[in-house]
Amino acid sequence: MAHDATHDHHDHHGAPQGFFQRWVMSTNHKDIGTLYLVFALLMFFIGGAFAMVIRAELFKPGMQLVQPYFFNEMTTMHALVMIFGAIMPSFVGLANWMIPLMVGAPDMALPRMNNLSFWIMPFAFTLLLSTLFMPGGGPAGGWTMYPPLSLQGESIAYVVFAVHLMGISSIMGAINIIATILNMRAPGMDLLKMPVFVWSWLITAFLLIAVMPVLAGAVTMLLTDKYFHTNFFNAAGGGDPVLYQHIFWFFGHPEVYIMILPAFGIISEIIPTFARKPIFGYKAMVFAIASIAFLSFIVWAHHMFAVGLPMGAEIFFMYATMLIAVPTGVKVFNWVSTMWGGSMTFETPMLFSIAFVILFTIGGFSGLMLALAPADFQYHDTYFVVAHFHYVLVTGAAFSIMAAAYYWLPKWSGNMYSETWGKIHFWSSVISVNVLFFPQHFLGLAGMPRRIPDYNVAFANFNMISSIGGFWFGASQLIFLGVIVHCVYFSKKKAADRSWEGAKGLEWTVPSPAPHHTFDVPPVIHDDELAHGHTDH
Amino acid sequence: MNAMVDNAMDERRKRARRTAWIAGGVALGIFVLSIVQMLKL
Repeated sequence: MAHDATHDHHDHHGAPQGFFQRWVMSTNHKDIGTLYLVFALLMFFIGGAFAMVIRAELFKPGMQLVQPYFFNEMTTMHALVMIFGAIMPSFVGLANWMIPLMVGAPDMALPRMNNLSFWIMPFAFTLLLSTLFMPGGGPAGGWTMYPPLSLQGESIAYVVFAVHLMGISSIMGAINIIATILNMRAPGMDLLKMPVFVWSWLITAFLLIAVMPVLAGAVTMLLTDKYFHTNFFNAAGGGDPVLYQHIFWFFGHPEVYIMILPAFGIISEIIPTFARKPIFGYKAMVFAIASIAFLSFIVWAHHMFAVGLPMGAEIFFMYATMLIAVPTGVKVFNWVSTMWGGSMTFETPMLFSIAFVILFTIGGFSGLMLALAPADFQYHDTYFVVAHFHYVLVTGAAFSIMAAAYYWLPKWSGNMYSETWGKIHFWSSVISVNVLFFPQHFLGLAGMPRRIPDYNVAFANFNMISSIGGFWFGASQLIFLGVIVHCVYFSKKKAADRSWEGAKGLEWTVPSPAPHHTFDVPPVIHDDELAHGHTDH
Repeated sequence: MNAMVDNAMDERRKRARRTAWIAGGVALGIFVLSIVQMLKL
């Protein structure tokens, strides 16, 4: 019945001819990976455009360009689009492309479900974005959709349905990744020989399965409260709005790690390649990822210190949160130790990876400050929080995705990208992103609240600097787009199979560009070919 | 040789489908529980 869908209509030769057959009906992991990555790039620019509106409005104090409600729509949609449309799908795209290649599998375990997982996404986001054009407008209560505020708009039904669709897509993607990694590895590819990227995705997929249904449950209850007269979160009917916050953040905090664990995996592939050394402490890296994933389930209430939790709960969630610094510190130490004494070169993927290590650590430190419950009463809902999570998600997650794109583009396209323009993109991005987000720490410490379109004149200077950084960072990403288009369609420089001198792992044993079908016959695993899991370290 | 490879692959795909059903069941169970535990029945 479900006999190997990849072979049914593709045969063994190459990609099917015709746009519809190739892209809409695709069951090939590489094509679906490409679809995810292109979709994520599109969403990155749409979410980025929303961010430009926000920064333009905040360029000066006073109301400049947009109405307050529209500003709130922009902050809400920017977050939803970037989280569910850009960061998560790009990691799923990377997983689709690279996991079968890295473990020696011919495709994902469930290729037709893979197609469905992707093609749900454009419908979900069309639904979500269409609310901006509806009477009454789109969602404007923040991406967390706290009731009762979120229930005031009429768009909530569309948003809830869009979130359900995204959740179904993510869960199916996660199921596919787990089934592939646990069952489709080539003989000899033991679990503790897998690349760290594969490990990071295996753990992330378990997180997804555990928490996406909780989000689905929470938004379903929002929907029934709005339209079916239930009172889950309605205080007047005996419900509790704070209950929603508990359920949401039980999903929301692991979600944060869903967006960063695959980044850890990517960085753990790139640094050894350009340091020309095996990763320092492979097993410690794997266990650190697993520890972070476990801890993510017991820290959710640090997002709601200010709601009036019992003292015991505040203390528990404070210390549990601070505990996360331990496995994260192990990872940072191991990345630095991998570089230590290595024969390092600084191609664009390595530059983004080093920037990741430094800037993500800054985001981690401000996270530790926020973990302190007494201090959090001051920082809560200020721009300090905005600065913190943008260091983690932009210079963390987004930088890792850019690093991955530069690292694997030669394998995907068969061409080398322009190193000069890659470096221009890097330096422009890394300077502008700090101009954009670093002043927001000061704004937050001085007391500027989040999600406001106007502010006290005392905050004017840092906001102007931040907005200039924002426009600069946004413009820099057009260079990224140009580099990708040039590499795929115009580059004359062909990539070698092993595109980087120090690269190890099965993905570099196949030709560049990777043929439509790979590993139809499982590869014979030689330990010295693998990036990780050698017996000698 | 090819037949052996195909058989092994079929076997792995069968195991993968079983894994997928289990994972899907867990996800559905969590979804239902997240709502049911909130009901005051």
